[in-house]
Amino acid sequence: MSNTPEESVKCDAIGDDLIEFALGTLSGRRRSVVLDHLETCAHCDAESEALASVADSMLWLAPEAEPPLGFESRLIERYRSTEVRHASSSSRRRRVAVFALAAVLVAVLGIGIDAIVMSNERTNNNLATSRPLTGHLMADGSVVGQVSISSGHPSWMIMDVDAGYLSGAVWCEVTFANGRVETVGSFTLANGYGSWIAAIKDSGSRVRSARLVNSNGKVLAMATFAV
Amino acid sequence: MRVRVSYDDEASDEALLAGVAVGDERAVLAFVRRYQRRLFGLALGIVGDPGMAEDVAQEAFIRILRHAAVYDVRRGSVATWTLTITRNLAIDAVRVRRPLPTAPEDHAFLALVSDERSPDDAAILSDAVTQARVALDSLPMDQRRAIVLAVMYGRTVAEVASLEAIPLGTAKSRIRLGLAKLRDAAAAEAS
Repeated sequence: MSNTPEESVKCDAIGDDLIEFALGTLSGRRRSVVLDHLETCAHCDAESEALASVADSMLWLAPEAEPPLGFESRLIERYRSTEVRHASSSSRRRRVAVFALAAVLVAVLGIGIDAIVMSNERTNNNLATSRPLTGHLMADGSVVGQVSISSGHPSWMIMDVDAGYLSGAVWCEVTFANGRVETVGSFTLANGYGSWIAAIKDSGSRVRSARLVNSNGKVLAMATFAV
Repeated sequence: MRVRVSYDDEASDEALLAGVAVGDERAVLAFVRRYQRRLFGLALGIVGDPGMAEDVAQEAFIRILRHAAVYDVRRGSVATWTLTITRNLAIDAVRVRRPLPTAPEDHAFLALVSDERSPDDAAILSDAVTQARVALDSLPMDQRRAIVLAVMYGRTVAEVASLEAIPLGTAKSRIRLGLAKLRDAAAAEAS
């Protein structure tokens, strides 16, 4: 990769600081000088990334060691306590309630399926960007499952279905804000139950709805996500 | 029969992390069981104290689990991401306790630069570990030591110079040359 003369001068001035930057040991003004340089120099930016990557790969050399007895239970307890304070933790409890409700509603209602919209649980817009999208999967006014979509790269979709009257192969499609539809995958329901995880090629944060369709393309259930 | 997401040994790291991101505790448990020995081992090697290593490993897990939703695969593998978080926390913990450890026993990972290998090493090491081992072994001994001190313990160039009792310029060149060779080896491996 070639540099302009101006960039080369700056690159020379950066010198060994780039290595310390890649190792994460550079601080203060020297660090901010390197950061400024990387903003304008693709060559050094790529070099820094490459050096950081090989440095990080060395961490595999650390031998494994058995944690103290009770490590796992203490960690899970701590995780649960932090999750209780976390706004999104309510989704799991709500999921249990959803399935309990769904079991009752599905037993009472018939098969006539319509796409019913229900907003997702997000109420805090400041936190929404890093939270998964979560919506209820609805059919004929009943909750028949839940869909969660992570916002990372790739985005992942987890779908839980609990609809006793459905069985066999079904397809999951998601619709993005620009109207594009992506088929995430084909899954099999066993006695009305199914739970899957699949990657979404595009950004999950742009998904506006997810729907379950049968082999004829008929919509069996749908979840929408409020913006 | 209820069909459920399977978070067994076959599940990819990315799938586990996705499950974590949406609050699935089965994924959390599977993720912790997969990585606890590796994270604790790394933390223990850096801080040298089992109690502190547990604190570091637990904090690392909590951060990873909390930030699972924003993990970006373009920034590296899940494994490397988790190890990097753990390493950084361990280095911070050591710096709070001891600004600059100088005793050899404070750097347990320097044993990694030895040419001696257990006969069983090749059989039990994963591909990633083997690649890292081969790459490190390809360096001259003085560069290996400088790289381990800088990478595993977060030592600055000046600190490496002090610990190894060598001029600053020598420390710089050992780290620079060592890293460059590792980078070239990684590029050759990828091509």
